[in-house]
Amino acid sequence: MSDIDFDDDELAMLRQLFRSEAHDALEVVTARVLSSGSARPSGEAIGEMMRVTHTIKGSAGTVGLGAMVDLAHRLESAFAVIGRDPQVWTAATADQIVEVTDGLRGYVDQLIAQPAGAEHTAAQLRTQIANLTNTEPPPERPSFPRFEHHSESMVIPTIVTAGALEPLGDAPSDSAVASPRTLTPPLGTLTAPTALAETRDLGVRGDGRQLRVEPERIDNLMSSAGELLFDRTRIERRVQLLRTVARDLARTRQNLRDAIGPSSAANRGLVEAETELAGQAALLSQTTAALLDEIEALRRTIGELQRGLTRIRMDTARNLFLHAARTLRALRRATGLVVELRTLGEDTEFDKAVAEQLVDPITQLLRNAVAHGIEPPDERAQRGKPPTASITIRARQDGNLLVLELSDDGRGVDTAALRERLVATNRWSAARAQLATDGDVLDALGTGVSVRGDADELAGRGIGLDVVRQTVARLGGEVKVSSVPGRGTTFSLRLPLSTSLAQAMLFKVGGQVYAIPAVHVVDTTLVEPGATFTTVRHEQLPVLRLEALLGHGITQERRPGVVVTFAGKGFVGTVDKIVGPREIIIKPLGPLLAPLTLYAAATISGSGKVQLILDPAQLVRRAHPDAPEAIGELASSPMVLAGRALVVDDSRAIREAMTSMLGREGWIVDVAEDGARALQMTRQLRYDLVVTDLEMPELNGFDLIARLRDDARFKTTPIVIITSRANPEHRRRAKELGVRALVAKPITRRKLLEALALR
Amino acid sequence: MGELRNVIVFAIGAARYAIELRWVREVVTLGFVTAVPTAPPVLGGLCNLHGAILPVLDVATLLELPPGPPARQGDGALVLEAEATVCALRVDQVDHVASLVETEGAVVDATGRPLTLLDPVKITRRALELIAAEPS
Repeated sequence: MSDIDFDDDELAMLRQLFRSEAHDALEVVTARVLSSGSARPSGEAIGEMMRVTHTIKGSAGTVGLGAMVDLAHRLESAFAVIGRDPQVWTAATADQIVEVTDGLRGYVDQLIAQPAGAEHTAAQLRTQIANLTNTEPPPERPSFPRFEHHSESMVIPTIVTAGALEPLGDAPSDSAVASPRTLTPPLGTLTAPTALAETRDLGVRGDGRQLRVEPERIDNLMSSAGELLFDRTRIERRVQLLRTVARDLARTRQNLRDAIGPSSAANRGLVEAETELAGQAALLSQTTAALLDEIEALRRTIGELQRGLTRIRMDTARNLFLHAARTLRALRRATGLVVELRTLGEDTEFDKAVAEQLVDPITQLLRNAVAHGIEPPDERAQRGKPPTASITIRARQDGNLLVLELSDDGRGVDTAALRERLVATNRWSAARAQLATDGDVLDALGTGVSVRGDADELAGRGIGLDVVRQTVARLGGEVKVSSVPGRGTTFSLRLPLSTSLAQAMLFKVGGQVYAIPAVHVVDTTLVEPGATFTTVRHEQLPVLRLEALLGHGITQERRPGVVVTFAGKGFVGTVDKIVGPREIIIKPLGPLLAPLTLYAAATISGSGKVQLILDPAQLVRRAHPDAPEAIGELASSPMVLAGRALVVDDSRAIREAMTSMLGREGWIVDVAEDGARALQMTRQLRYDLVVTDLEMPELNGFDLIARLRDDARFKTTPIVIITSRANPEHRRRAKELGVRALVAKPITRRKLLEALALR
Repeated sequence: MGELRNVIVFAIGAARYAIELRWVREVVTLGFVTAVPTAPPVLGGLCNLHGAILPVLDVATLLELPPGPPARQGDGALVLEAEATVCALRVDQVDHVASLVETEGAVVDATGRPLTLLDPVKITRRALELIAAEPS
């Protein structure tokens, strides 16, 4: 156990974190490249490209993705060459970099989902990265028109950014042949550094005052607000119980009253006691009623808090459009089709969490439009259509809903052919196909049928549309398709502006899928039949037969178990099958189900089924029936506290990894994303240990340590440096500053423990 | 003479009922029905209604009749909103919408047959009582 840094679930979670971090970092690279058209980015931009690539390298090592470390290293080196030598930049370099970053994004996903077979992709990427600094034009590039060719007759793919919703036809018809100069401003606004960098500008516009907040901190607040909701539900249940007791008490008093009969000298004492009891019962009733009102007020306040936080976390459609532009760019290169992208309503605001979920659907719809919708140039000419096809994405708000419409001006959906395919694939009866309206037929798109009989690599067999429908359904929205033959197709996505996401472990019991919040699930294991206790990590834990609890029989076989801890108490819950960790959307159960304490909330699966989320507090109480009631209310930690530690690193994955490693050793861990923030935190609190990275924006590691040593409170505090670049000069300086140890990334638990043990 | 009510008339099993239209949010076909173990029979299950969780209630249990068949995907249901609570009643058939005269908790349809007029406020309260009474 001691040389394993993370267990599987933890590693899976850290890798997911790394995945999103790597995506963000690659996004920054792409944005820097796209913002200067095909020209070489500024030295500063290249510097940032190197820095974020370097961050990927460090984090990849820590989460054990060695192959990714190598690729990030190569890319960073290529950027270094580009930064040093302007001659290396050719007209094709921008496109090549975008191709590499897109490739890397796919590679990261592949590496995490199915590492087998990823090596082929890695080899390809190595070649592509090597080509970046190879000044010879790569031989296999298609002869696609580039921005630097200023020929009038050349059609340049472009993004037309219109300010407001306006009819499609009003866009200037010559926008398709805009010069690269006119392209730069809209692209520039799309990729303004603040729009994509890790720290995002938020808040007050107009008077110039802005508040810089790291998105994670808001996410943390969001999840606290979410927890608050669960807490409120628990309190409400208790008060409901109290109300029942008050009612029973009133009834008992009535019975007592009847039993006492008419008042007389003999029973005066009883009568008086009964009167007193009546008063007390009434007071209890009133108080519980008042409590319920106050809980209702609390519910409203929590709701406002969540809405307010969601507003802060709002993203504009701009980033989604930027993603669409890049996707289309790649598709154009793959197909040779000439397509322009028009975007409308880029200032439409919606939840960042929703925006992230929409990336895949938008990619799919674009692929779909290019593969199925848009005709080849000769066919367009035949139909009297302009040679440049156009795809329009409009975003707008409609009440509480976000409406995204993606239209192409291609051939439209052939509903007759689709009808035939529905019948040919036995999905519909001939009679149904005959009765169905064109709208019904279009609604069947993306439920397993495609317009095209053959699958191709861009968008095969309508499976892509299935994914779009499922993602949108999971978010609580719907997809509508409309089409005019010969004129084009429009996909309308209507979905809520915001959502609350959480990580959960999903498993099956009695044929239904249930979830437990991932923070409380520490492991999975196997449980022998009949066992009432099982050993997990040298600890005896009670077995809770979830199949019995959820109304199914206990079977005499080995069963998988989820290891759950809550407030310091653990148990193993037996299940039919572990489904795995998932990101879920939390839906409240509503007042009718509030008395069912076993369930904390629910979620909706990709296929639209309701799945119940079990309340770990309740489960733990059932697994430890003899334990005092205090369990669950009082979080008692069995751990001996080692002290308070501050971890400073600009990579979130590293911060999380360190938090987990140190947390297991009994440290209370605070994190800071750069030296400046760390310094600010040390002014407010004393720390017993500081672990810091060297290269960080704002204030770097050495400057931070020097400033800390100037502070009397931190003169002798143990400080550990974690870095991916430890050279003799670094070691000398570290020694000078009284640094306890210098640990090379990737960090392992053993290395960290050794560093902490040094005295 | 009683008051005129705008009602929706529907059938569950052999019995016919009416509910005032002002309580009815929509008439839907149920999607997949998720069972809720440990819940009393009055709660037929949970459905996804436009991304929200919709409890489906069994009318027979509420009226203290023998419970009806369990709610299943494809069944028809009335979505009601009362007491700040949204829930659905599984129905076998929705007949029509009509303006009928109420007398003592019942209405009489065009053919002169009496229909039970259900009160969603009472239904919701009763359902909550039944669910809260179940030790869970």
